[in-house]
Amino acid sequence: MSDTLSAADLLGAISAQMADAVARAAAAMVQVRGRPRQPASGLVYTADLVLTADHVIERDEDLSVETPDGRALAAQLVGRDPASDLAMLRVADLGVGPAAFAEIPARVGQIVLAVGRPLSGGPMASLGIVSALGGPLRSRRGAVLEQFIQTDATPYPGFSGGPLADSQGTVVGVLTTGLAGGAALAVPAALARRVADSLAGQGYVKRGFLGISSQPVELPEGQRAGLSQASGLLVVRVEPGSPAAAGGMILGDVLVSFDGHAVADTDDLQALLVGERVGRAVPAQVIRGGALANLSITVGQRG
Amino acid sequence: MTIDTYPPATMLGAAAADLAAGVLPSVVQVRGRGRGHGSGVVWRDGATVMTNFHVVDGLGDALEVLTLDNRSLPARLIAGNPRLDLALLAVEGGDLPPATLGDSARLRVGDLVFAVGNPWGQRGVVTAGIVSGLGDLERQHGEERATYIRSDVRLAPGNSGGPLINAQAEMIGINAMIFGGDLSVAIPSHVALGWAGRIPAM
Repeated sequence: MSDTLSAADLLGAISAQMADAVARAAAAMVQVRGRPRQPASGLVYTADLVLTADHVIERDEDLSVETPDGRALAAQLVGRDPASDLAMLRVADLGVGPAAFAEIPARVGQIVLAVGRPLSGGPMASLGIVSALGGPLRSRRGAVLEQFIQTDATPYPGFSGGPLADSQGTVVGVLTTGLAGGAALAVPAALARRVADSLAGQGYVKRGFLGISSQPVELPEGQRAGLSQASGLLVVRVEPGSPAAAGGMILGDVLVSFDGHAVADTDDLQALLVGERVGRAVPAQVIRGGALANLSITVGQRG
Repeated sequence: MTIDTYPPATMLGAAAADLAAGVLPSVVQVRGRGRGHGSGVVWRDGATVMTNFHVVDGLGDALEVLTLDNRSLPARLIAGNPRLDLALLAVEGGDLPPATLGDSARLRVGDLVFAVGNPWGQRGVVTAGIVSGLGDLERQHGEERATYIRSDVRLAPGNSGGPLINAQAEMIGINAMIFGGDLSVAIPSHVALGWAGRIPAM
């Protein structure tokens, strides 16, 4: 047998690979029933946990999933993270192997499959590419999603909570149309896993706050205190007793970096107020009176 | 062309172009007296064309098919089934190259598919996608359930009646409907084959 592939064989090989990828992704997916209308999709995360989209869980009780082999099982809500539109369910006796998450980030142009289980009786899928990588994105309730994947694969009704999978069926993101006006987005695999681990561990995701109001300002050359960045965040209010006040931040400061990352607008700052930084003393740099000042602010946790 | 001499995407492009070139002569435009444009696919004997019932419904007896090489051939309705949305036309002087039939019962979700037809009257347009879903679909007006192939190939009015082709260049469906602008629905070729087999000999 020849080890070369003819052009005609190639189409067949690609077709078979994509069907295999859909089958692999679908084997680790359930249908999620948590709203009156269209059921949605969920990814099996561990032996008894299912990751899905927050916005498809419209109630806290009377939740259920349907396994690929057609079993309907009761599910309990473990936790929600509206900022990433992810939610975690616990399902006893799930008996479905977990989904494989990609170890490396998605790339623009990469071929992807959107896979969902909106109907009983088999998965659905659509083909596309990674159209853009973006973030931060201000999502519902003013929360900020650090990163997202945009795709031109069609998210059919009920695909939210399902995988955006690569050509091996590995999860590169968790699909949702609930973040930005119905646009087909996916929460990148690494971020989705971080959120999922937080939800599994404590039922919520730590998101921090400083207790300031601020607005982005241009930094004219000569007023950058020797920095190269052209904008920063002008502090227009410091809440009394807040983490920022305790750290010595005052009205009129221009915040230019936080934990070593440049801060040019409010989204930059929001994206940094997550995870390990919450509850920790974090170095911040402000321009005050034309000179750079170093502060240490212990990030507060939003209740 | 072999994969060790050309990059995969170059190979893919060439393979898809070969597939399209091979299938296009089997696809015709179906129309009535100067109006109503749909698509059709040359059926097994080369003298008949399979299309959707809704393409020819109401067009009367004066049908014609327009071939890829711009021949206009008179056609007449042999049989039609509004429930399956299928119609079979006899083409006068028909010696057209029939499409090769595949086995639509063996399709899998994710399989590569190509639609060929005449969207908005534009001749010989090929679009690509994958099988998005298989299984029952609730029909409107209380019709009985039937199995359809759903796909993400881009279709537009005028594609109706044209073939859905698999990666082996075989016809596995007749494109029939579009839902919500981005879900295309095709009648499996094995359903068309079964129906055609039950039509009494002409």
